[in-house]
Amino acid sequence: MNLNNNKYYNKWFINSWPYIAGAVLLSLLQIVTLAVTGKPWRVSSAMAYWGAWILNSFGLDVSHWTYFNIEGGQEIFKGGFLLDPHSIRNLGIIVGALFSSLMASQFRIRKVKSKKQFLLAAIGGLLMGYGARIAQGCNIGGLFSSIASLSLSGWIFGFAVVIGAIIGSRIIVRFLI
Amino acid sequence: MDSNKVKRKRNQIPFGIMVLVFSIIFGISLYYKSKLLPFFWISGLAFGFILQRSKFCFAAALRDPYLVGSTFITKALLISIALTTIGFTAIKYNSYINGQEIPGQNVVISISPAIVIGGILFGIGMVIAGGCASGLLMRTGEGFQTQFIALIFFILGSLWGAHDFHWWNEKFISKGFKVFLPDIFGWFGALTIQLIIIGILYILLDRWESNGNEDF
Repeated sequence: MNLNNNKYYNKWFINSWPYIAGAVLLSLLQIVTLAVTGKPWRVSSAMAYWGAWILNSFGLDVSHWTYFNIEGGQEIFKGGFLLDPHSIRNLGIIVGALFSSLMASQFRIRKVKSKKQFLLAAIGGLLMGYGARIAQGCNIGGLFSSIASLSLSGWIFGFAVVIGAIIGSRIIVRFLI
Repeated sequence: MDSNKVKRKRNQIPFGIMVLVFSIIFGISLYYKSKLLPFFWISGLAFGFILQRSKFCFAAALRDPYLVGSTFITKALLISIALTTIGFTAIKYNSYINGQEIPGQNVVISISPAIVIGGILFGIGMVIAGGCASGLLMRTGEGFQTQFIALIFFILGSLWGAHDFHWWNEKFISKGFKVFLPDIFGWFGALTIQLIIIGILYILLDRWESNGNEDF
Protein backbone atom coordinates (compact mmCIF):
# COMPACT_ATOMS: atom_id res chain seq x y z
CA MET A 1 0.00 0.00 0.00
CA ASN A 2 1.48 3.29 -1.04
CA LEU A 3 0.09 6.06 1.12
CA ASN A 4 2.09 8.82 -0.50
CA ASN A 5 -0.33 9.12 -3.40
CA ASN A 6 -3.43 8.83 -1.28
CA LYS A 7 -5.44 12.03 -1.40
CA TYR A 8 -6.72 11.87 2.17
CA TYR A 9 -3.37 10.86 3.66
CA ASN A 10 -1.80 13.92 2.03
CA LYS A 11 -4.63 16.16 3.09
CA TRP A 12 -4.70 15.09 6.75
CA PHE A 13 -1.14 14.09 7.53
CA ILE A 14 1.24 15.82 5.09
CA ASN A 15 -0.11 19.25 4.21
CA SER A 16 -0.37 21.86 6.93
CA TRP A 17 -3.94 22.61 7.91
CA PRO A 18 -5.14 26.18 7.57
CA TYR A 19 -4.84 28.18 10.80
CA ILE A 20 -8.59 28.49 10.92
CA ALA A 21 -8.98 24.69 11.06
CA GLY A 22 -6.57 24.63 13.99
CA ALA A 23 -8.47 27.47 15.66
CA VAL A 24 -11.84 25.71 15.39
CA LEU A 25 -10.49 22.34 16.57
CA LEU A 26 -8.63 23.90 19.52
CA SER A 27 -11.87 25.62 20.53
CA LEU A 28 -13.80 22.39 20.31
CA LEU A 29 -11.20 20.58 22.41
CA GLN A 30 -11.18 23.41 24.98
CA ILE A 31 -14.96 23.24 25.35
CA VAL A 32 -14.87 19.44 25.68
CA THR A 33 -12.09 19.80 28.26
CA LEU A 34 -14.11 22.21 30.40
CA ALA A 35 -17.23 20.05 30.10
CA VAL A 36 -15.44 16.82 31.07
CA THR A 37 -12.94 17.98 33.69
CA GLY A 38 -14.55 21.16 35.03
CA LYS A 39 -11.32 23.08 34.30
CA PRO A 40 -10.03 24.69 31.11
CA TRP A 41 -6.74 23.84 29.42
CA ARG A 42 -3.57 24.91 31.22
CA VAL A 43 0.03 24.14 30.34
CA SER A 44 2.64 25.85 32.46
CA SER A 45 1.23 25.23 35.94
CA ALA A 46 2.64 21.69 35.87
CA MET A 47 6.18 22.76 34.99
CA ALA A 48 7.12 23.96 38.48
CA TYR A 49 6.18 20.53 39.79
CA TRP A 50 8.45 18.90 37.21
CA GLY A 51 11.33 20.97 38.57
CA ALA A 52 10.37 20.18 42.15
CA TRP A 53 10.19 16.44 41.48
CA ILE A 54 13.62 16.54 39.86
CA LEU A 55 15.03 18.36 42.90
CA ASN A 56 13.24 15.85 45.11
CA SER A 57 14.98 12.97 43.37
CA PHE A 58 18.28 14.63 44.34
CA GLY A 59 17.11 14.74 47.95
CA LEU A 60 16.13 18.42 47.97
CA ASP A 61 12.66 18.89 49.44
CA VAL A 62 10.87 22.07 48.33
CA SER A 63 7.32 20.94 49.15
CA HIS A 64 7.04 23.60 51.88
CA TRP A 65 7.17 26.48 49.33
CA THR A 66 3.98 28.55 49.25
CA TYR A 67 3.40 27.70 45.58
CA PHE A 68 3.15 23.99 46.33
CA ASN A 69 0.61 24.61 49.09
CA ILE A 70 -2.13 26.30 47.06
CA GLU A 71 -5.01 24.67 45.15
CA GLY A 72 -4.36 21.09 46.25
CA GLY A 73 -0.65 21.45 45.52
CA GLN A 74 0.39 19.00 48.23
CA GLU A 75 -1.67 16.23 46.67
CA ILE A 76 -0.14 16.82 43.26
CA PHE A 77 3.29 16.91 44.86
CA LYS A 78 2.79 13.58 46.63
CA GLY A 79 1.02 11.90 43.72
CA GLY A 80 3.91 12.44 41.32
CA PHE A 81 4.08 12.80 37.56
CA LEU A 82 1.94 9.82 36.56
CA LEU A 83 -0.99 10.86 38.75
CA ASP A 84 -0.93 14.55 37.80
CA PRO A 85 -3.49 15.20 35.04
CA HIS A 86 -1.70 18.34 33.83
CA SER A 87 1.63 16.57 33.50
CA ILE A 88 0.00 13.69 31.62
CA ARG A 89 -1.68 16.15 29.24
CA ASN A 90 1.61 18.00 28.63
CA LEU A 91 3.33 14.69 27.89
CA GLY A 92 0.44 14.01 25.52
CA ILE A 93 1.17 17.25 23.62
CA ILE A 94 4.79 16.16 23.08
CA VAL A 95 3.79 12.63 21.98
CA GLY A 96 0.91 13.97 19.84
CA ALA A 97 3.29 16.26 17.96
CA LEU A 98 5.80 13.41 17.64
CA PHE A 99 3.09 11.14 16.21
CA SER A 100 2.00 13.86 13.81
CA SER A 101 5.49 14.55 12.49
CA LEU A 102 6.26 10.81 12.15
CA MET A 103 3.05 10.20 10.19
CA ALA A 104 4.16 12.94 7.80
CA SER A 105 7.70 11.46 7.72
CA GLN A 106 8.91 14.90 8.78
CA PHE A 107 10.44 14.03 12.14
CA ARG A 108 14.06 15.04 12.33
CA ILE A 109 16.40 15.97 15.21
CA ARG A 110 17.18 19.60 14.52
CA LYS A 111 20.38 20.55 16.29
CA VAL A 112 21.12 23.81 18.04
CA LYS A 113 22.96 25.86 15.43
CA SER A 114 25.07 28.17 17.55
CA LYS A 115 26.02 29.29 21.05
CA LYS A 116 23.92 32.37 20.51
CA GLN A 117 20.86 30.24 19.76
CA PHE A 118 21.50 28.16 22.87
CA LEU A 119 21.82 31.30 24.98
CA LEU A 120 18.63 32.85 23.59
CA ALA A 121 16.70 29.62 24.21
CA ALA A 122 18.02 29.39 27.77
CA ILE A 123 17.35 33.02 28.71
CA GLY A 124 13.97 32.98 26.97
CA GLY A 125 12.97 29.78 28.75
CA LEU A 126 13.99 31.17 32.14
CA LEU A 127 12.07 34.42 31.62
CA MET A 128 8.98 32.55 30.46
CA GLY A 129 9.04 30.09 33.34
CA TYR A 130 9.48 32.83 35.92
CA GLY A 131 6.89 35.10 34.31
CA ALA A 132 4.31 32.33 34.02
CA ARG A 133 4.69 31.47 37.69
CA ILE A 134 4.24 34.95 39.10
CA ALA A 135 1.41 35.71 36.61
CA GLN A 136 -0.09 32.27 37.41
CA GLY A 137 -0.55 31.39 33.78
CA CYS A 138 0.96 31.27 30.32
CA ASN A 139 -0.54 31.93 26.89
CA ILE A 140 -2.87 29.01 27.48
CA GLY A 141 -4.09 29.19 31.09
CA GLY A 142 -3.49 32.90 31.64
CA LEU A 143 -4.60 34.16 28.23
CA PHE A 144 -6.60 31.76 26.01
CA SER A 145 -8.49 29.94 28.79
CA SER A 146 -8.75 32.99 31.01
CA ILE A 147 -10.21 35.33 28.38
CA ALA A 148 -12.58 32.60 27.20
CA SER A 149 -13.70 32.24 30.84
CA LEU A 150 -14.80 35.89 30.80
CA SER A 151 -12.04 36.89 33.22
CA LEU A 152 -10.65 40.41 32.97
CA SER A 153 -7.25 39.07 34.08
CA GLY A 154 -6.86 37.30 30.72
CA TRP A 155 -7.14 40.56 28.78
CA ILE A 156 -4.67 42.35 31.07
CA PHE A 157 -2.19 39.46 30.93
CA GLY A 158 -2.58 39.31 27.14
CA PHE A 159 -1.88 43.02 26.84
CA ALA A 160 1.25 42.61 28.99
CA VAL A 161 2.44 39.66 26.86
CA VAL A 162 2.07 41.76 23.69
CA ILE A 163 4.15 44.55 25.31
CA GLY A 164 6.74 41.91 26.25
CA ALA A 165 6.66 40.50 22.70
CA ILE A 166 7.39 43.97 21.27
CA ILE A 167 10.35 44.39 23.66
CA GLY A 168 11.51 40.86 22.79
CA SER A 169 11.23 41.56 19.05
CA ARG A 170 13.42 44.65 19.44
CA ILE A 171 15.97 42.61 21.37
CA ILE A 172 16.23 39.87 18.73
CA VAL A 173 16.31 42.36 15.86
CA ARG A 174 19.24 44.08 17.56
CA PHE A 175 20.87 40.73 18.33
CA LEU A 176 20.63 39.49 14.76
CA ILE A 177 21.80 42.63 12.98
CA MET B 1 15.68 22.37 0.32
CA ASP B 2 17.12 19.46 -1.67
CA SER B 3 18.47 17.70 1.39
CA ASN B 4 15.03 18.16 2.92
CA LYS B 5 13.45 16.24 0.06
CA VAL B 6 15.90 13.38 0.38
CA LYS B 7 15.11 13.04 4.09
CA ARG B 8 11.39 13.18 3.48
CA LYS B 9 11.61 10.07 1.31
CA ARG B 10 12.45 7.98 4.35
CA ASN B 11 9.16 6.51 5.44
CA GLN B 12 8.49 7.15 9.14
CA ILE B 13 4.90 5.95 9.19
CA PRO B 14 5.75 2.60 10.89
CA PHE B 15 7.31 4.57 13.76
CA GLY B 16 4.19 6.72 13.90
CA ILE B 17 2.05 3.60 14.22
CA MET B 18 4.35 2.32 16.97
CA VAL B 19 3.83 5.61 18.86
CA LEU B 20 0.08 5.22 18.38
CA VAL B 21 0.09 1.67 19.76
CA PHE B 22 2.20 2.77 22.73
CA SER B 23 -0.21 5.67 23.31
CA ILE B 24 -3.22 3.36 23.39
CA ILE B 25 -1.55 0.93 25.81
CA PHE B 26 -0.36 3.81 28.02
CA GLY B 27 -3.87 5.33 27.97
CA ILE B 28 -5.42 2.04 29.07
CA SER B 29 -2.85 1.66 31.85
CA LEU B 30 -3.70 5.17 33.09
CA TYR B 31 -7.34 4.13 33.47
CA TYR B 32 -6.35 1.82 36.32
CA LYS B 33 -4.66 4.70 38.17
CA SER B 34 -7.54 7.17 37.84
CA LYS B 35 -10.60 7.20 35.61
CA LEU B 36 -10.12 10.74 34.32
CA LEU B 37 -6.41 10.38 33.46
CA PRO B 38 -6.99 8.75 30.05
CA PHE B 39 -9.05 11.80 29.07
CA PHE B 40 -6.16 14.12 29.92
CA TRP B 41 -3.82 11.85 27.96
CA ILE B 42 -6.06 11.70 24.87
CA SER B 43 -6.79 15.44 24.96
CA GLY B 44 -3.05 16.14 25.25
CA LEU B 45 -2.36 13.94 22.21
CA ALA B 46 -5.13 15.76 20.33
CA PHE B 47 -3.85 19.20 21.34
CA GLY B 48 -0.34 18.21 20.21
CA PHE B 49 -1.62 16.77 16.94
CA ILE B 50 -3.77 19.83 16.15
CA LEU B 51 -1.01 22.29 17.08
CA GLN B 52 1.51 20.45 14.89
CA ARG B 53 -0.80 19.96 11.91
CA SER B 54 -2.00 23.56 11.79
CA LYS B 55 1.39 25.04 12.88
CA PHE B 56 -0.62 26.93 15.46
CA CYS B 57 1.76 28.94 17.61
CA PHE B 58 0.50 31.26 20.32
CA ALA B 59 3.85 33.05 20.50
CA ALA B 60 3.64 33.86 16.78
CA ALA B 61 0.06 35.06 17.17
CA LEU B 62 1.12 37.65 19.74
CA ARG B 63 4.41 38.59 18.08
CA ASP B 64 3.92 38.53 14.30
CA PRO B 65 1.73 41.62 13.90
CA TYR B 66 4.55 43.71 15.32
CA LEU B 67 7.62 41.74 14.18
CA VAL B 68 6.67 40.83 10.62
CA GLY B 69 3.35 42.62 10.09
CA SER B 70 1.45 39.39 9.50
CA THR B 71 -1.89 38.96 11.25
CA PHE B 72 -3.25 35.64 9.88
CA ILE B 73 -2.48 33.58 12.96
CA THR B 74 -3.50 36.39 15.32
CA LYS B 75 -6.90 36.60 13.67
CA ALA B 76 -7.22 32.79 13.90
CA LEU B 77 -6.45 33.05 17.62
CA LEU B 78 -9.16 35.71 18.02
CA ILE B 79 -11.69 33.44 16.29
CA SER B 80 -10.64 30.58 18.56
CA ILE B 81 -11.04 32.75 21.66
CA ALA B 82 -14.48 33.89 20.46
CA LEU B 83 -15.69 30.31 19.81
CA THR B 84 -14.27 29.04 23.09
CA THR B 85 -15.89 31.95 24.95
CA ILE B 86 -19.30 30.97 23.58
CA GLY B 87 -18.86 27.31 24.57
CA PHE B 88 -17.40 28.11 28.00
CA THR B 89 -20.15 30.60 28.76
CA ALA B 90 -22.81 28.05 27.85
CA ILE B 91 -21.29 25.48 30.23
CA LYS B 92 -20.82 28.05 33.00
CA TYR B 93 -24.30 29.47 32.57
CA ASN B 94 -25.80 26.01 32.79
CA SER B 95 -24.10 25.46 36.16
CA TYR B 96 -25.15 28.92 37.30
CA ILE B 97 -28.88 28.54 36.57
CA ASN B 98 -28.87 25.09 38.16
CA GLY B 99 -27.34 26.50 41.31
CA GLN B 100 -24.13 24.51 40.94
CA GLU B 101 -20.57 25.69 41.36
CA ILE B 102 -19.41 27.45 38.16
CA PRO B 103 -16.61 25.39 36.58
CA GLY B 104 -13.30 26.82 35.39
CA GLN B 105 -13.15 29.73 37.80
CA ASN B 106 -9.55 28.73 38.61
CA VAL B 107 -8.41 30.77 35.58
CA VAL B 108 -10.13 33.90 36.87
CA ILE B 109 -6.85 35.18 38.20
CA SER B 110 -6.29 37.92 40.75
CA ILE B 111 -5.50 41.21 39.01
CA SER B 112 -2.33 42.77 40.39
CA PRO B 113 1.02 44.10 39.13
CA ALA B 114 2.21 40.46 39.27
CA ILE B 115 0.23 39.49 36.15
CA VAL B 116 1.49 42.58 34.29
CA ILE B 117 5.15 42.04 35.20
CA GLY B 118 4.81 38.28 34.69
CA GLY B 119 3.15 38.86 31.32
CA ILE B 120 5.89 41.20 30.12
CA LEU B 121 8.63 38.77 31.20
CA PHE B 122 6.71 35.94 29.53
CA GLY B 123 6.30 37.95 26.32
CA ILE B 124 10.00 38.80 26.12
CA GLY B 125 10.94 35.18 26.84
CA MET B 126 8.65 33.59 24.25
CA VAL B 127 9.98 35.81 21.46
CA ILE B 128 13.61 35.23 22.41
CA ALA B 129 13.15 31.46 22.81
CA GLY B 130 10.98 31.11 19.69
CA GLY B 131 7.88 29.60 21.26
CA CYS B 132 5.67 29.69 24.32
CA ALA B 133 4.88 26.81 26.65
CA SER B 134 2.62 24.81 24.32
CA GLY B 135 4.93 25.59 21.39
CA LEU B 136 7.98 24.30 23.26
CA LEU B 137 6.20 21.01 23.99
CA MET B 138 5.12 20.69 20.36
CA ARG B 139 8.56 21.53 18.93
CA THR B 140 10.18 19.12 21.37
CA GLY B 141 7.98 16.37 19.93
CA GLU B 142 9.02 17.36 16.41
CA GLY B 143 12.68 16.98 17.35
CA PHE B 144 13.82 20.59 17.79
CA GLN B 145 16.77 20.69 20.21
CA THR B 146 16.60 24.47 20.70
CA GLN B 147 13.04 24.36 21.99
CA PHE B 148 13.89 21.35 24.15
CA ILE B 149 16.62 23.42 25.79
CA ALA B 150 14.17 26.28 26.22
CA LEU B 151 11.76 23.79 27.85
CA ILE B 152 14.43 22.69 30.35
CA PHE B 153 15.08 26.33 31.22
CA PHE B 154 11.35 26.98 31.34
CA ILE B 155 11.18 24.32 34.07
CA LEU B 156 14.10 25.96 35.90
CA GLY B 157 12.45 29.37 35.57
CA SER B 158 9.18 27.93 36.89
CA LEU B 159 11.02 26.56 39.87
CA TRP B 160 12.62 29.94 40.48
CA GLY B 161 9.20 31.60 40.16
CA ALA B 162 7.67 29.05 42.55
CA HIS B 163 10.46 29.85 45.01
CA ASP B 164 9.72 33.59 44.81
CA PHE B 165 5.95 33.08 44.68
CA HIS B 166 5.59 33.69 48.40
CA TRP B 167 7.01 37.22 48.03
CA TRP B 168 4.89 38.08 44.96
CA ASN B 169 1.82 36.68 46.71
CA GLU B 170 2.33 38.75 49.86
CA LYS B 171 3.31 41.93 48.06
CA PHE B 172 0.84 41.91 45.16
CA ILE B 173 -1.32 38.86 44.37
CA SER B 174 -3.10 38.65 47.74
CA LYS B 175 -3.92 42.36 47.51
CA GLY B 176 -5.33 42.00 44.00
CA PHE B 177 -8.93 41.49 42.98
CA LYS B 178 -10.68 39.05 40.69
CA VAL B 179 -13.01 40.31 37.99
CA PHE B 180 -15.44 37.83 36.45
CA LEU B 181 -17.14 39.88 33.74
CA PRO B 182 -20.70 38.45 34.20
CA ASP B 183 -20.62 39.77 37.79
CA ILE B 184 -20.47 43.28 36.34
CA PHE B 185 -22.29 43.14 33.01
CA GLY B 186 -24.53 40.13 33.52
CA TRP B 187 -24.09 36.91 31.48
CA PHE B 188 -25.54 38.14 28.23
CA GLY B 189 -23.88 41.55 28.56
CA ALA B 190 -20.44 40.10 29.32
CA LEU B 191 -20.63 37.68 26.38
CA THR B 192 -21.84 40.39 23.99
CA ILE B 193 -19.25 42.95 25.07
CA GLN B 194 -16.43 40.42 24.78
CA LEU B 195 -17.50 39.30 21.30
CA ILE B 196 -17.74 42.94 20.18
CA ILE B 197 -14.24 43.67 21.52
CA ILE B 198 -12.88 40.60 19.71
CA GLY B 199 -14.60 41.82 16.53
CA ILE B 200 -13.06 45.29 16.88
CA LEU B 201 -9.60 43.80 17.46
CA TYR B 202 -10.08 41.66 14.33
CA ILE B 203 -10.85 44.76 12.23
CA LEU B 204 -7.92 46.71 13.74
CA LEU B 205 -5.56 43.84 12.93
CA ASP B 206 -6.88 43.64 9.38
CA ARG B 207 -6.23 47.36 8.91
CA TRP B 208 -2.81 47.05 10.55
CA GLU B 209 -1.85 44.40 8.01
CA SER B 210 -3.08 46.29 4.96
CA ASN B 211 -1.26 49.41 6.18
CA GLY B 212 1.92 47.37 6.53
CA ASN B 213 1.53 46.07 2.98
CA GLU B 214 1.27 49.57 1.59
CA ASP B 215 4.58 50.44 3.18
CA PHE B 216 6.36 47.61 1.42
